[in-house]
Amino acid sequence: MTETAIEAAALGKRFGRRRKRALDGCAFQLPAGRICAVVGPNGAGKSTLLSLAAGLLHPSDGTITVLGQAPAAAREQVAYVAQDKPLHPQLTVADTLRFGRELNQRRWDDRVAERIVAEGDLDPDAKIRTLSGGQRTRVALALALGKRPELLLLDEPMADLDPLARHQLMATLMADAAERGTTVVMSSHVVAELEGACDHLLLLGAGRVRLAGPLDDLLAAHRLVTGRADAGLDPHTVVESRTTGRQLTALVRPEGPLDDTWQSTVPTLEELVLAHLRAPEAPALRLDSVPEAAV
Amino acid sequence: MTTVVTIETSTAVAPSRGPRGLVWVMLRVHRWALWFWVLLVAVGAGALLFVHGPGTDAAWSEYRAMGCDSPEVGQACDYSGPAISRLGLANSLGGLLNFVPLLAAAWAGGALIGRELENGTAQLAWAQSVSPARWLAAKLAVPAALLVAGTTLLTLLHRLAWSSAAPLRSIVPWREWYDDDIFLANGTLATAHALLGLAVGALAGLLLRRALPALAAAAVGLLVLTQALGSLRPYLWPVETLTQKGMYPPYTGMVLDDGALTSTGARVEDPLCINDTKCLADHDIVGFYRDYHPSSHFWPLQLVETGIVLAVVALAVLAAFRLLRRRTGAAV
Amino acid sequence: MTATLTATGTTPAGTTPRGPRGLVWSVLRVHRTALVLWGLALTAATAGLIWMYVIADEARRAYLPCSEPVAADGYPSCSSLDAITADDYYSTGIALLTSALTFAIFPVAAWAGGALIGRELESGTALLAWTQSVSPVRWLAAKLAVPAVLLAAGTGALVLLNRWAQTDGNPNVVGDWYGPDVFVGIGPAAVGYVLAGLALGALAGLLVRRTLPAAGAGFASSLVLYLVLDHFRKDLWPKADRSQAGELELPRSAWQVDWNATWGRYPGEGTPRFTSATFHPRSHFWPLQLVETGILLAVAATATLAAFWLLRRRTP
Repeated sequence: MTETAIEAAALGKRFGRRRKRALDGCAFQLPAGRICAVVGPNGAGKSTLLSLAAGLLHPSDGTITVLGQAPAAAREQVAYVAQDKPLHPQLTVADTLRFGRELNQRRWDDRVAERIVAEGDLDPDAKIRTLSGGQRTRVALALALGKRPELLLLDEPMADLDPLARHQLMATLMADAAERGTTVVMSSHVVAELEGACDHLLLLGAGRVRLAGPLDDLLAAHRLVTGRADAGLDPHTVVESRTTGRQLTALVRPEGPLDDTWQSTVPTLEELVLAHLRAPEAPALRLDSVPEAAV
Repeated sequence: MTTVVTIETSTAVAPSRGPRGLVWVMLRVHRWALWFWVLLVAVGAGALLFVHGPGTDAAWSEYRAMGCDSPEVGQACDYSGPAISRLGLANSLGGLLNFVPLLAAAWAGGALIGRELENGTAQLAWAQSVSPARWLAAKLAVPAALLVAGTTLLTLLHRLAWSSAAPLRSIVPWREWYDDDIFLANGTLATAHALLGLAVGALAGLLLRRALPALAAAAVGLLVLTQALGSLRPYLWPVETLTQKGMYPPYTGMVLDDGALTSTGARVEDPLCINDTKCLADHDIVGFYRDYHPSSHFWPLQLVETGIVLAVVALAVLAAFRLLRRRTGAAV
Repeated sequence: MTATLTATGTTPAGTTPRGPRGLVWSVLRVHRTALVLWGLALTAATAGLIWMYVIADEARRAYLPCSEPVAADGYPSCSSLDAITADDYYSTGIALLTSALTFAIFPVAAWAGGALIGRELESGTALLAWTQSVSPVRWLAAKLAVPAVLLAAGTGALVLLNRWAQTDGNPNVVGDWYGPDVFVGIGPAAVGYVLAGLALGALAGLLVRRTLPAAGAGFASSLVLYLVLDHFRKDLWPKADRSQAGELELPRSAWQVDWNATWGRYPGEGTPRFTSATFHPRSHFWPLQLVETGILLAVAATATLAAFWLLRRRTP
């Protein structure tokens, strides 16, 4: 297997000449075998990035390689579930799975796909048209996993699933990924859904990479500190700070040992993400082992 | 800052010029269709005005230059010159009126209703302060008003063009008042058929709830309906009969039936004796008859058929509302 | 790992029943309604044409010379021929089926723009196919090839059946070969039209990427193509000229395009001094058909190339 699942350099995408870039100068590297969360506010470019990786769009600038090849060449090894889960409404569930088998003749595994559908208690003869949003998501995921991909791109996969189904599908996904070493890239703006599942983070904001790297390293690079409002935080990089009364809470990237006056803890994923979302002007940080470091 | 905002909201609330509410929504959502309709009416009207004025004059003078208006009409007059073929082209553009019902049906089934139900934008409207019934009423009323306005204009212009082409019609083989497309375009039927298209399309859209199947069903349904209604046309008003001894009465108007008469006055099939008197006597043929509609029957036929078509329109609209009410369960 | 994968991948595939596979299967399955409708239309048209063939002789009897009263020269009585109704059914039936062949391009183009391509791009199901192991180019190739084969085969068969049912092609019964509603339906141009409609519709679908506008654009572009060819058909092959002193009457089998008379002092009076006519004789049927078919296939090929070019530009 290739060492790097996705590598982007100076990646940009613009739709139409006059409109703002959906992605602008993105550079990051995702090692194979990771479960990567792509996080960011609405319109940050998450879906554009996933479409580019799936070989559905041409980049306007820069390059993106998937499993060491151009995305279009890696089509067979990559599965993708789009945000609105498009499926042919006139097909039955069974025929939708057969659609996957017919179009992935060299990779398809019926058992995987059928198990996922069966776990949702779906009637194989039901038309896609008659299914609920969550049931449709399940079929779309079955189609993606039945392909036995090396890289699985999921755009807001769990948005319309009930908590139980979400839990169950996430477990299936994780077990499958762990067993087969699949790289999973999952976009979401529900951070809680990713906590505990992901070991890699890509935070996008306004088309740019804000944070990229292994989750543990990123968390370790930040401190959530509380202390008196008049105390200085130099020379540390302050991502975001808030004062309530005389107390100041801040998320910082320590540039050395922290002063004893500060109470500091390692932030949770949610705290890390929220602080960056609230402070769009904070500098970017890349810890994904690329020489040309921060953008 | 706050004052500015208030001013803005107050202008939004104050009824500004132009259409409001559901009508505005209708016109905005279907802006392309509106432009298309305006363009179609403009092209049709331009072509008909051309036929009414310069087109017919040019054809008429060309006709004279060819010597066709001399009492002994020569063979050359069977064939058209450039002015006459231009006139023919303009005439067929004016005949766009005949395609309006089909276009209206396809559009109403596909874009007006079917697509909205398929992708949920209808439900979006119902989730605003608009009941499904009012939504459907606006969906039907706004296009209906525009269709009536456009087709009425085109009908009036078509009558104008038709009347100014009258001298040419009497000489060159031209269209007759009872030809399907002429009959439609010269009276109230054009408007009624356009409304029929709208109603059939809307009903198909509500029945099938999907854009493309509704489009196809509406187009096929309208073609079948107009064929069926058109085949009834000759029987919508009592026919007149001409009889003549010895030979057929002159061929005038919309002929329904003709044949031979015996001495008892019975109608029999023409044994085709031509002028063979012995044959005529053998078959006891004393004269011939023709059942026909004279051109004075144009308006009675036109109005009766319009009434029938409008009744079908009303039925389709009623069915559409009932269907919608049963589906949404809402009181109107 | 890879070995197991291949094994599990091939086992269920091996048990798949006969019938089309892969992309062909998926195109047929996704557009099953259209396939069924096409099958029904073909069945109905075939049945109709066979019926026409059965009553063809009876219909032609109605046009035999007759006499009334029956004379010794052996002609049948005119009233007996007048009582024949088969000729009405036959003429109407043949005219209906021939014009259906002529106008098949319109529903085909609207379907190709709307259901075949536009809807898939609008709803994202095209992306679904492209993220299986199928490249967009192969997807489009299957989307065009499968309907093209079915349409060409069906239309071609109907044209042959139509010519068979028209037997001797008597213009009193089946219409003149150069009639605008007749010409297309009795030759290979009918196949050219449906293929051009398919390609134009697909191109419209890729350009517009939305169901209903694409259906409208497909319909409109095929209407333009139809009207242009209908207008210029007579110029697709060099016309024959004939001129002579006095009057000139062409046989009915000739498609008269132009006719001019030079008169003496008084136009339209008596017989002309000199008459000339431009026309296509019956023998021009095949050259005209083949040129028109060639143009249609060129249009279809150009539209197809444009569609592929557009798709390649848009997707990696």
